[in-house]
Amino acid sequence: MTSLSIFLQTLVGGIGIGSLYALVALGYSMIYRSMGLVNFAHGSIYMIGTYFGIIWYRGMVMGLQVPYPIAFVIGILLNALLGLFLERLFRPLAHLDLMLMLLGTIGLGYVLDNLAVIIWGAEGFAVKSPLPNEPIVIGGVALLPQMLLLIVVSALLMIGLNVFLARSKMGKAMRAAAQDRETASAMGIPVNTTNALVFAIGAGLAAAAGILAAPIVYVNPAMSAAVGLKGFAAFILGGAGSIPGAIVGGLVFGVLEALSAGFVSSQYTKGIAFVVMILVLMIKPAGIVGEVTVDKV
Amino acid sequence: MSLEIEHLVMRFGGVVAVNDVSLSVQPGKIHGLIGPNGSGKTTIFNVISGYYKPTSGKVTFEGKVISGLPAHQITALGFARTFQNLRLFKTMTVLDNVLVAMGHHTQTRLWQALLDPISSAREDKWLTEKAMNLLELFNIAEYARERATSLPYGHQRRVEMARALATEPKIVLFDEPAAGLNESETEQLSETLLKIRDAGITILLVEHDMRLVMGICDIVSVLDYGKKIAEGSTQAIRTDPVVIEAYLGKEEEL
Amino acid sequence: MKNRSRMLKWILLAVGALVLLAYPLIAPNRYTVHIVNMAGIWILMSLGLNLAMGYCGQINLALGAFWGVGAYTAALLSTRFGVPIWINLPLGMALAGLTGALIALPMLKVRSHYLALVTIGLAETINIIMVNETWLTEGPLGISGIPMPNLFGIAFDGAERFFYIILFFVVLGFLVARQIVNHRIGRAFIAIRDDETAARAMGVNVAFYQVLANAIAGVYCGVAGVLYAHMSTYISPDIFEFKNALFVLTMTMVGGMGSLAGSIVGGLALPLTQEWLRAIKHWQLVGFGLAIIIVVLFMPGGVVGLTQKIEQAGGIRLPWMRKPAEDKPQMEEPNVA
Repeated sequence: MTSLSIFLQTLVGGIGIGSLYALVALGYSMIYRSMGLVNFAHGSIYMIGTYFGIIWYRGMVMGLQVPYPIAFVIGILLNALLGLFLERLFRPLAHLDLMLMLLGTIGLGYVLDNLAVIIWGAEGFAVKSPLPNEPIVIGGVALLPQMLLLIVVSALLMIGLNVFLARSKMGKAMRAAAQDRETASAMGIPVNTTNALVFAIGAGLAAAAGILAAPIVYVNPAMSAAVGLKGFAAFILGGAGSIPGAIVGGLVFGVLEALSAGFVSSQYTKGIAFVVMILVLMIKPAGIVGEVTVDKV
Repeated sequence: MSLEIEHLVMRFGGVVAVNDVSLSVQPGKIHGLIGPNGSGKTTIFNVISGYYKPTSGKVTFEGKVISGLPAHQITALGFARTFQNLRLFKTMTVLDNVLVAMGHHTQTRLWQALLDPISSAREDKWLTEKAMNLLELFNIAEYARERATSLPYGHQRRVEMARALATEPKIVLFDEPAAGLNESETEQLSETLLKIRDAGITILLVEHDMRLVMGICDIVSVLDYGKKIAEGSTQAIRTDPVVIEAYLGKEEEL
Repeated sequence: MKNRSRMLKWILLAVGALVLLAYPLIAPNRYTVHIVNMAGIWILMSLGLNLAMGYCGQINLALGAFWGVGAYTAALLSTRFGVPIWINLPLGMALAGLTGALIALPMLKVRSHYLALVTIGLAETINIIMVNETWLTEGPLGISGIPMPNLFGIAFDGAERFFYIILFFVVLGFLVARQIVNHRIGRAFIAIRDDETAARAMGVNVAFYQVLANAIAGVYCGVAGVLYAHMSTYISPDIFEFKNALFVLTMTMVGGMGSLAGSIVGGLALPLTQEWLRAIKHWQLVGFGLAIIIVVLFMPGGVVGLTQKIEQAGGIRLPWMRKPAEDKPQMEEPNVA
């Protein structure tokens, strides 16, 4: 393999994993933007969403063997319901004292993570891809079909989300409520409903990400910490609260990670990723695309 | 002892909030700064007190350049200020609010206090006495141990003033101190400001209440759209057609 | 009335002191003394966190890193060079304090949401480094054979004897914290937490005090680390893990963030509860998570805050409570000048 193709290979792998981070980061961004809430439990929501889908696919629920696409949809729906429930629970927390908000969501993360261990065990499992395992070769780059699926479906979801926010009535309502809660409310927009939808969509996207990535990465409750933290870093990297920022941040973070794993050392990837993010925060606190400020002084 | 503002320009992105303003505040005087909303008054305050670095121009105090210095250093040079929207320390008592401002008086370092708790306690007592004296001057000594934000609004204003004076300033910047006060409270405020001036402290006052301004200021500068449009005695300002135009043009009352 | 309450306070204090001093003699077995010793270590860390976060608003979750620095300083110096505990202590304190100060520096420019992430990220990075740099830390296997201290000719081997060392430092730590809180530094901390802008105007050098707050957290955790190393005689890099910081955060929140007593309450209650619920480990963590959520939603002042509220509502004064600032009901301003 030429070094260019090695580089491209790594790059594509980075985009793949970056799509995962982008979907997770979108959840953080949407919730932050509409509710001023930094949801530290989002990683756990991602993890639970993955389980919600994979358990059907693996026949872990009453022995039913559900085909992958259906398991995918079920997982998303179940997680969206969880999102609705959590929004209701955390409604009083939004826009509150920052410390309390942070701690409340950390506590929630604790609860979700350990419930997952209690219900499904800590060991986790590998998931077989529904697609064949032979890599497809495109332009000198070998790609697992599952990876291709991940990238394509993620892209479709992100495009779908943007269309929804830009064109649909509910989407516009959500954007209005995110920009100015009071005015939107005064104009008859049901802010509680839009917030609930934000949580549901965020959770749904996270589940989608997890179920798509499951055959590539190992599935276990510890995913919540690993992916959660990285998704959060991507959210900040791109510019907290910005939808395109979350996508850019996720992809950049994924590529960064892949490059450092490929060319530096896999041990330190996590550390390097963090250091880069902290540097970005110090140099340009608004992130790559720029932050959407939520709180009015 | 004078405060000099020379050709100050303050730009935020595309907006020029302060456009080449020069001002000279004489020691021991009450200098009023008035103008319609948005004319740049509070921005100037924020530059003087060290929250913004000027886009260009400079501020000097007693010959020393202070523009660009951080706020706490400017305070140490003899400045104090109050805020338009009261900024009391929410969880602290009235007394503690004042004690914070007296922090630079404390001589005892932590390690000294640990090794010699008795002299630390003595210093504490001295500080508390000083603070209480200050509170008495403002007639709020009886509330010393109450949470500052639980007091009625007028009293909170007094706490903020006491706190500002606790830094033992040479010059105090008052940002709309009469906002939200009723007539009798504004009267009391006038008297208090005059007493502060008589104690030798210079005052720079941003205010919308014209009666207060005309009543106590020695000299008034008028701003409009970030530029100084007039300056002089209260008598001169009151009848200056340019000033009246600026206010009438904004449909404000003089 | 006042005298009776004061006398009650002193009596309780005296009884408490006696019980504490006699504890190793009346404890059922060595293991329970060990548990209490560990609680003491957690209390020290919680005091540090409370000072930095409860009083100064610094969301510093890198406690594991400070703890680890203290522990590894003691471990390495004592096992490689035979350095005794009374030198390890100031060194560990200094290094951990320095770590705290250094971590604070990038945080100064970062907005508050990100503080938590930055400290978590830094702590994780330090964790990874410590695990991998075996020349420094001897890797994931850890360091064993740390000697128990030998002071004034007395060998402090065994939990019962070590108890007095821990007790000494907890009491000292509490008194120092109280001195900090009640004077200039404490007031500056609270001012910064309540209103940073106003604090600056009052002459408070915000950056300095923020760094100081983090350094203090570092120092307290550093002491805890040194003591832990000499007490357990074996340490491994899992000290640096984030879950330790989370544990300290939980106990401080539940006990009362922003109140020193809260550190004591939380630092005792949570480790003891954890021990008691040891058999059902994961449910225990679920419980902790729920505890945090409940505290956040319903009693942000923790247990101590709750007792203060009970006090105000019922008009009773529990003997250990300081006189709280009363809430004056809003009243009409008289129109007479």
